[in-house]
Amino acid sequence: MKSSAGNSRSNSRVAASKGVAFSKSPVLAVRLPDWRSRVVLFVLFSAFAALAGRALWVQIADNKFLQEQGANRYMRTQELPATRGKIFDRNGMVLASSLPVKSVSVFTEDYKANPASPQTVRELARLLEMPEAELQKKLNSERSYVYLKRQVEMDVVAKIEALGIDGLDTRKEYKRYYPQGEVMAHMVGFTNVEDVGQEAMELAQQKSLAGQPGSRRVIKDRLGRIVEDVGMSREPHDGKDLTLSVDSKLQYIAFNSIKNAVEKFHAKAGAAVVLDVHTGEVLALANWPTYDPNNRAHLTGEQLRNRVITDTFEPGSTLKPFTVSLALDKGLITPRSTFDTGNGRYLTGGHVIRDTHAHGVIDVGTIIQKSSNIGTTKISEMLSAEEMWEMFTKVGFGQAPRYGFPGAAAGRVRPYKSWRTVAKANMSFGQGISMSLLQLAHAWLIFARDGDIIPLSFQKVTEKPVGQQIVSARTASQMRVMVESVVSPEGTASQAQVAGYRVGGKTGTAQKVVDGRYSQTHYVGNFAGIVPMSNPRFVIAVMIDDPSGPFHTGGAVAAPTFATLAANALRAANVSPDSTVTDIIIPEHPLEESN
Amino acid sequence: MIGKINVVLTTVLVGCALSVVNARYQRNHLVNDIEKLATQQRQLDIDWSQLQLDQSTLGKNERIEQIARVNLNMAPLSPARTQYLTEGGK
Repeated sequence: MKSSAGNSRSNSRVAASKGVAFSKSPVLAVRLPDWRSRVVLFVLFSAFAALAGRALWVQIADNKFLQEQGANRYMRTQELPATRGKIFDRNGMVLASSLPVKSVSVFTEDYKANPASPQTVRELARLLEMPEAELQKKLNSERSYVYLKRQVEMDVVAKIEALGIDGLDTRKEYKRYYPQGEVMAHMVGFTNVEDVGQEAMELAQQKSLAGQPGSRRVIKDRLGRIVEDVGMSREPHDGKDLTLSVDSKLQYIAFNSIKNAVEKFHAKAGAAVVLDVHTGEVLALANWPTYDPNNRAHLTGEQLRNRVITDTFEPGSTLKPFTVSLALDKGLITPRSTFDTGNGRYLTGGHVIRDTHAHGVIDVGTIIQKSSNIGTTKISEMLSAEEMWEMFTKVGFGQAPRYGFPGAAAGRVRPYKSWRTVAKANMSFGQGISMSLLQLAHAWLIFARDGDIIPLSFQKVTEKPVGQQIVSARTASQMRVMVESVVSPEGTASQAQVAGYRVGGKTGTAQKVVDGRYSQTHYVGNFAGIVPMSNPRFVIAVMIDDPSGPFHTGGAVAAPTFATLAANALRAANVSPDSTVTDIIIPEHPLEESN
Repeated sequence: MIGKINVVLTTVLVGCALSVVNARYQRNHLVNDIEKLATQQRQLDIDWSQLQLDQSTLGKNERIEQIARVNLNMAPLSPARTQYLTEGGK
């Protein structure tokens, strides 16, 4: 025993050094080198150190990832919807408003794995109001995600969800409603399926109307109730509401007058605009043909066109008061100055200017009342081209409008240096110069007001606008007397008379330019007027495009349309009558202005 | 002495812990109430929009005129059959 113990001590140093002998047999004695245990110890230690280091790293130094992952286990991101701003008329009536609806779509693979029964599909087709064949095609489409129908109303969606079809998906979105429909279409415009403005004010004010959806992080408990609001990731912003200058009642009256006039005179189109004399607000803007913004399936360009703003035309005699007022303002003539209009033919610059009747020697007031081209030409001969150009430019003709309305036309006034004698004569009575109906109405504000012009506005105005003086107040009042005489049984606009009110205005008939030449069969009849004359409240401009009935002049088609519009508008606006004349005398053969 | 302080501190600690639990519970309830009210507010906003739309749709001039003319047999007034009373006039 002793010897063996002695052997083991001497032969297996490693084990013996720790005092443990693995075997008593010298044959089996393990001879391990000293460093091996140190290596094992070192490896184990470094492994633990690595673990500790890693733990330190993920817990303290770089803890973001794990915290996010942890948060994801109980935090939810909640979408915060933002609605598009509403559009109101000046009296607070809603013209456009967005309501939540849902889009119905299908994950086709999920659907194909478990298709619905034919009865269910038929029921779905009925709820979505689409042919069953079309629905089947969509359900079995190759694409993985297919919209079945967008902007489905909530109560219908509830019924669809109750069908329990596999793969069906509904998502929240908004639908824009236009309660006033076609009456307001050209003023308000419309949005597309993504709720982005496409036309008129919806387009012009897109930035301020559009809402900015947000999102936030919340913690929900096991019942799905929100128990903690962790914070916003993105703040939602609702779109701003917009109050327009338009008055629903006046708009309806204008729209109806135009609609009836287009039908009555077999015209291609018609338009009217009503401006507030004191604020420059656009109270009504009506077009025919029009469209229903709620149902735009078969929309044509003709319906979409806003003739008041985007179409330009040569107004004709409606422009004569501007030439006359300029000469009056310069002190070159007085309302009593007389001019010889001769036999109705006048040669200037190698061209003949014609009047419809021979008026002989007449004064300035009569030139306007009878709408004499020769008289106006003779007055324009006293003015320089530059002075006339300056006048036209100051009242906005040929100038890019700043109404903040998309597609507004500037019209055309050629630079005065290129005016020849006949061009200047033509322009004095409104030919060879083009503008939109809105520009014409806007310019007429100088006669309705005290010779100054104020900016137009499509939004409700709260502050008194600052005007720019164009002609003197005296000239403006002299012009008012003249244009009132136009609307008398002796004038060219006898049909523009309104029972109970004093009215002033001027007719215009322009030949349309067809293939680069003035047409002898296509006309634009227009009328610009002021009501009531004792204390002007509205400027109304009416345009009837291409009337194909027996009448085509401004006096015959636009003046009576103006009269109906003005009569109803004055009544609707509670303007007290300023005339005791209630029997309107319209001569059997009313005087017509020359083209 | 130290033992007594320990007992007191332990009691205070446990009390604090329990009040934290209670406060969190209360907060969860209140947050939940706020959320409910916010949802209700959104729904009311939608209802309000819907009512405004209804008002505008039903109050359409076209509809009023139609009803006035057809159902009620009314006609627009004309100055010819209107007597105007002016202040100080006869």
